[in-house]
Amino acid sequence: MSGSLFQLPDELILTTLAQTFPCREAQIRALSTLLYPGAAPCRNLVIYGTEATGKSAITAALLTRLSDQPADDGFSLQYAVVNSAECITARHLYESVVGKVADALAWDGPPSRCETVSQLTVELAKMLKYTTRPDGFRFVLVFDGIDRQRDAPHTLLPALARLSEIIPSLTTVFIVTSPPPHFLLTSSVPHLHFPTYTKPDFISILSVSPPPALPNTTAQETADLWARFTAAVHDALARAASRTLPSFTHACTALWPRFTGPIHAGTHTAREFSKLLVAARVHFQDERLLDPGVLALALTTTTTTTTIITPTQQQQQQPKKEPNNTTTAMANAGADLAHLLPTTPRLLLLACYLASHNATKTDLTLFSTHHHGRRRRGGGLSVSGGGRGRGRPRSKHRKIARKLLGAHAFVLERMLAIFAAVRGEWESLSLSQQQQQQGEEVLLQKGDADIGMAIATLASLRLLVRVGGTAAGGDAMDCGGKWRVNVGWEVIRGLGRGVGVEVEEWLID
Amino acid sequence: MAENENISVSFEEDDHRAAFVFNPEDGQGNNTKQQQTARPAKRRKVAKADAPKLQSTSAAVAAGPAFPPLFNGAESPDAVRLRRELFETVWPHVLREANRTTLDEVTAFLQQAAEAETGKITAGFIITGPNIASQGLLFEQLAERLCTATQAAKFVRLRASEAPNLKAVLKRIIRDATATRGAADGDGEGEDDVDAEVAQGGRKYLDYDLEALHVFLSRQQKQQSRRVVVAFQDSEAFESGLLTDLITLFHSWRDRIQFDVLFGVATSVELFQARLLKSTARQLYGAQFDVVQANSVLESVIKSAVAGTQAGLRIGPSLLRSLVERQQDQVAGIQVFISSLKYAYMCHFYANPLSVLLAGDGRLDRQLLQPEHIEAVRTLDSFQAQAEAAVGARQLNHAQLLIEDDEYLVAQVMELGQKRKEYLTQLLRSLHLAASTGLSSAPFTDLYILALSSGIDIDQSSGTLPLEDAVKRLSPGELISLIDSLLSAIQTGSPEIGLEGWESDAEEFVGPLTDLRDEIEGLIERSKSNGTALKSKYSAQSRVMRTTVVAQKVQLSQDSATLTDEDKAFTKAVDTLLGLLSQNLHCDPVDNLFLHEVWVFDSKSPYRDVFVPRPGATFGRALARPHDYLACACCAQANGGLESTLPTTAILYHLYLEAGALLNVADLWSAYYALVGDESDVGLDERSALVCFYRGLAELGTMGFVKPSKKKADHVAKLKHWTVVQRRPKANSGRDYYILLLAATRRLQHNTRRAATNPAFHAKLSQMTLQLAPLVQLTTGAIHPSFPRTLLAFWLLTDAQLDALAHFYHQRTPGPWTRQYPCPVSWPAGLGLEEKRRKLGRFIGLRGCDSPSLGVVVLENGVGEMLGRTEEEIVEGARRERVRRGEEVEEVRRKMGWF
Repeated sequence: MSGSLFQLPDELILTTLAQTFPCREAQIRALSTLLYPGAAPCRNLVIYGTEATGKSAITAALLTRLSDQPADDGFSLQYAVVNSAECITARHLYESVVGKVADALAWDGPPSRCETVSQLTVELAKMLKYTTRPDGFRFVLVFDGIDRQRDAPHTLLPALARLSEIIPSLTTVFIVTSPPPHFLLTSSVPHLHFPTYTKPDFISILSVSPPPALPNTTAQETADLWARFTAAVHDALARAASRTLPSFTHACTALWPRFTGPIHAGTHTAREFSKLLVAARVHFQDERLLDPGVLALALTTTTTTTTIITPTQQQQQQPKKEPNNTTTAMANAGADLAHLLPTTPRLLLLACYLASHNATKTDLTLFSTHHHGRRRRGGGLSVSGGGRGRGRPRSKHRKIARKLLGAHAFVLERMLAIFAAVRGEWESLSLSQQQQQQGEEVLLQKGDADIGMAIATLASLRLLVRVGGTAAGGDAMDCGGKWRVNVGWEVIRGLGRGVGVEVEEWLID
Repeated sequence: MAENENISVSFEEDDHRAAFVFNPEDGQGNNTKQQQTARPAKRRKVAKADAPKLQSTSAAVAAGPAFPPLFNGAESPDAVRLRRELFETVWPHVLREANRTTLDEVTAFLQQAAEAETGKITAGFIITGPNIASQGLLFEQLAERLCTATQAAKFVRLRASEAPNLKAVLKRIIRDATATRGAADGDGEGEDDVDAEVAQGGRKYLDYDLEALHVFLSRQQKQQSRRVVVAFQDSEAFESGLLTDLITLFHSWRDRIQFDVLFGVATSVELFQARLLKSTARQLYGAQFDVVQANSVLESVIKSAVAGTQAGLRIGPSLLRSLVERQQDQVAGIQVFISSLKYAYMCHFYANPLSVLLAGDGRLDRQLLQPEHIEAVRTLDSFQAQAEAAVGARQLNHAQLLIEDDEYLVAQVMELGQKRKEYLTQLLRSLHLAASTGLSSAPFTDLYILALSSGIDIDQSSGTLPLEDAVKRLSPGELISLIDSLLSAIQTGSPEIGLEGWESDAEEFVGPLTDLRDEIEGLIERSKSNGTALKSKYSAQSRVMRTTVVAQKVQLSQDSATLTDEDKAFTKAVDTLLGLLSQNLHCDPVDNLFLHEVWVFDSKSPYRDVFVPRPGATFGRALARPHDYLACACCAQANGGLESTLPTTAILYHLYLEAGALLNVADLWSAYYALVGDESDVGLDERSALVCFYRGLAELGTMGFVKPSKKKADHVAKLKHWTVVQRRPKANSGRDYYILLLAATRRLQHNTRRAATNPAFHAKLSQMTLQLAPLVQLTTGAIHPSFPRTLLAFWLLTDAQLDALAHFYHQRTPGPWTRQYPCPVSWPAGLGLEEKRRKLGRFIGLRGCDSPSLGVVVLENGVGEMLGRTEEEIVEGARRERVRRGEEVEEVRRKMGWF
């Protein structure tokens, strides 16, 4: 060991790093002090901050540079980064720790299984403690996102924090989002906070990479415009909707083409910032742009609905416009769902809804033709009476309408019985709507296999859900199996009206 | 593999029978040899052992199983072989082309995204529609395509049922991605897979560790890409948490393994996105692909494979209509349609010996036609129609020759191919013309079905496709464009249905059409120069109301609007066009053709049985009317009703239908035993009846009709609410009623057996549990709730109840109904309790209540002999009542439900 007791790493490393990661110089310096073997290396270190504040990236970059530094001053540093997002179980975490540490040290001993924390300790101690290392050696083990580890035992974090007590040359770094107080159950752990970026920070970060120069404009003018533009975007959107750097970047890149549209068109120049702002005012008020769509190419491919179009649907779809923006598309999504299905699955879904939302005891009243020759339809009355609210208030113990409550489970056989009971009536409704006169013959042709297929389809679309213990392994067509309908009242009502059925008439509260 | 091997196992006689009757008792009497033959051979093992032998020995069998000879085996092997060859050649091998554009788009997108370097995961959303079946084929094709692309990617297909949690998904991804190469390159690579797991100094990876995949990919040759395409076949069925986890994981591995994901989306991308976290959605770089719309695929399949010229066998109109309707109404993918088509082809060539006549071009010669063929031709409906038509048309010679002279008939048959071709050409041309007029809005499929079933005729009043009015109403300009489109249709034909242009054949149609067009154009010119608009008799308001005021009176007169000379000429041109159209747009229904059975398959029943099986209804029907299947003489008169000679399970099924949600097994047994027991005409003794009963109940359980219930002891729960609705035969209801009555007495006997140890107690018990049939109120038919159902209840009646009963049955206050009851009593006020009880006893017909002097003693002493008679009396009384009031016996049964 040479030189003084306290020696910071090479200044060059720190400055280049600070250029790569603007607005993070303080954090970089603190981190290097706490990690560098020559400075003030600590045993455990907690780095915390919200999403996208540069925690992982800066740690990894700094460690790479520090470990690459030639060991001429007697200090050497090795490191390994374990990302918890990639570890499926705790055991997976341990084994990747061992594997990565072995890789970093170029350890060539026989690998062994590592199922518990104690085994991990043994393995690490074998590699780091009982192997003689030079004096200035330190190993940094980084657990990235360790608070999001799946299947973590509750002793995981304290145990990992003890590792550095057992192995003196080890520094353990925990990168977490927000640490609860005392979560490592050990005293005096240095914490390093990565605060969120402020507005000047955002602007300076984005100014590092300005977009390519616009037509009839120099690169400098474009960069200036970009800086003012980002500031405007921040004022308009960032405070309310996009606080993190990625979403802010996304908003800027999404808005930039629209904002500079007049420049491309030649109506304005890059210097007329306020005019451009006024022209693009609509977009700045529109938070939909911040919604990260999964479709990157949505603008180029036209959305057409892929459906089996039966005549009824054709009539209904023609007036409907192409869904141009996301909100209308979302609103239409439920309706589209109804149009997707052929007739029989639709009726089946309605029957499922009735089975889920009517009590079993009312089945006889609703669906039996035994006494009256005609089914008595109940429902509707109590609902509308409760909603009207005229006259004196009804009794205090007003029940909540069943359709507002969650769906109940029903036995498949019961649903099939309901379907068989109502199908004749409903199908004639939907047929008369289509002006199809084939009538009887059509009804007779349908059989069990098609119903099975329809149920399977509904189940695979998760419109119908298997419940109960046998949900995983049981036979889907077991008539005793229990199911539950998984669509809401609005969808069902639309679906029912699509085939000419008022579902409300068939519900009893 | 197993399926392929099983094909070569020859079919047994039983394989094609519609119904089996399994009768284990037959086997017991005979020797063991029969039992051995009854047991099915263990096919799988045998086939494997034989497989090499089969390959080496038989070249002839290599083509597959031979068709069995028809005509009871009299068909010659040549004809059989020809049928088989015909099937092979005629089946058009539809249609893997439908998805090609989607495949191209997806591949191109993945390629382009790989170069784009977006820092996100490339995601393709393939909108497949709700069709689960079609997704399978699509993803298979995608896998093929992507694996054979220049930069071979690993392709992993995931289905929701195979992916319950994250670990299982990862395991599967790693296994499939590492196994693809091993399977492709042969056995040598198989060891490499094992190595990948123990790579790097023997480190063993967990089986869900993507590091293993990384190592495997980095160890392979340089030219192979590091891309792994993970396809989620039914993305709706995956839990959204799982999807989020996976996408996050893939994203974090992005710098080492390039994952691309494909989602099969049944509903819409918006719904899919709504299920994902926004932070996850941000990691995707997606594009949407629409699979070709299902109905347009159907249309194109029908055009090419069903209606097109190259289709050898025609699917008849009714079958085709049911197929198409099934596509529209049910969730049946295009695969189902294609396999239905193939099945129809198979049925035709497998089972119709006359299908050999389809072979043309010299392959069909005279030697091939056996006498059986000619005989079969003569049994055809179309032959009969032809002969009758010949007789009707006074071509007696022709008719006679058809019927008697084989050679003449053969000559006629040989012309079949030519006639068929002519008919089809005419049909398709007419259809194509009709479609190209654009006047009919019906889709091609409907037109085609219409043309096959009832022909094409554009006559307005009687025609099947009334276009006449539409043509008449056209304006001159529209008429010209109509003629133009007709001409171009004739010129180009329709490549979709394999129809070539037939300009050279149709000179007598094309010539006049062109002339007409020129004429109309000239007329337009002339009328334009005259300053009037050209109109025809049909398009103009031909009649105009005129009002003239003559001498302060309004005169109404109808004048036909004046038509100029041009207008008249135009009207004539429209008429000519209509004439031409009705000549050319014309074809007969397919049924009218001689020998159409040879090349049209129009039978729905095997299709329905195979593709839309209805096990529930079939079971129900078989159990309800077993004699239809067994064809035994003994049950013939049952006719869907209950009969003691029916099989046990069928009897139990009938009783089951009568019962409520829970069945008391003891009741079921006693009702059953009453039917088949000692006293019935079947006369089983109790032990064997019990055996049959157990077996029948077990069979019902196996078929899923009943299951044990925990709700009540000794009860089974009824599982089938949805049984086939039976019309209850009224003739039998009296008998049923009797049986139920008997069952009740039997149950009584069961109870008595329990109390047999104490004779006095037994006597009392049997006396007290005697059931009383209730009386109904004359006016409403209702029964009073406190009516004593047993003798015990009778003795327990209170004073108030007695009064209420008397009032209910119109005895307390005399009225018009009082005397209508079988044994009316007087009910003065101030009676004592026992007096009232006695009077009520008399009223309901208990013997021994007649006069106070006899007292109750007689009642108690005479119980033993009284039982039967009392009961009969009550029943008789009740029946008389109902007959008098015209009630149906049906009602009785309903009310006797508590037995």
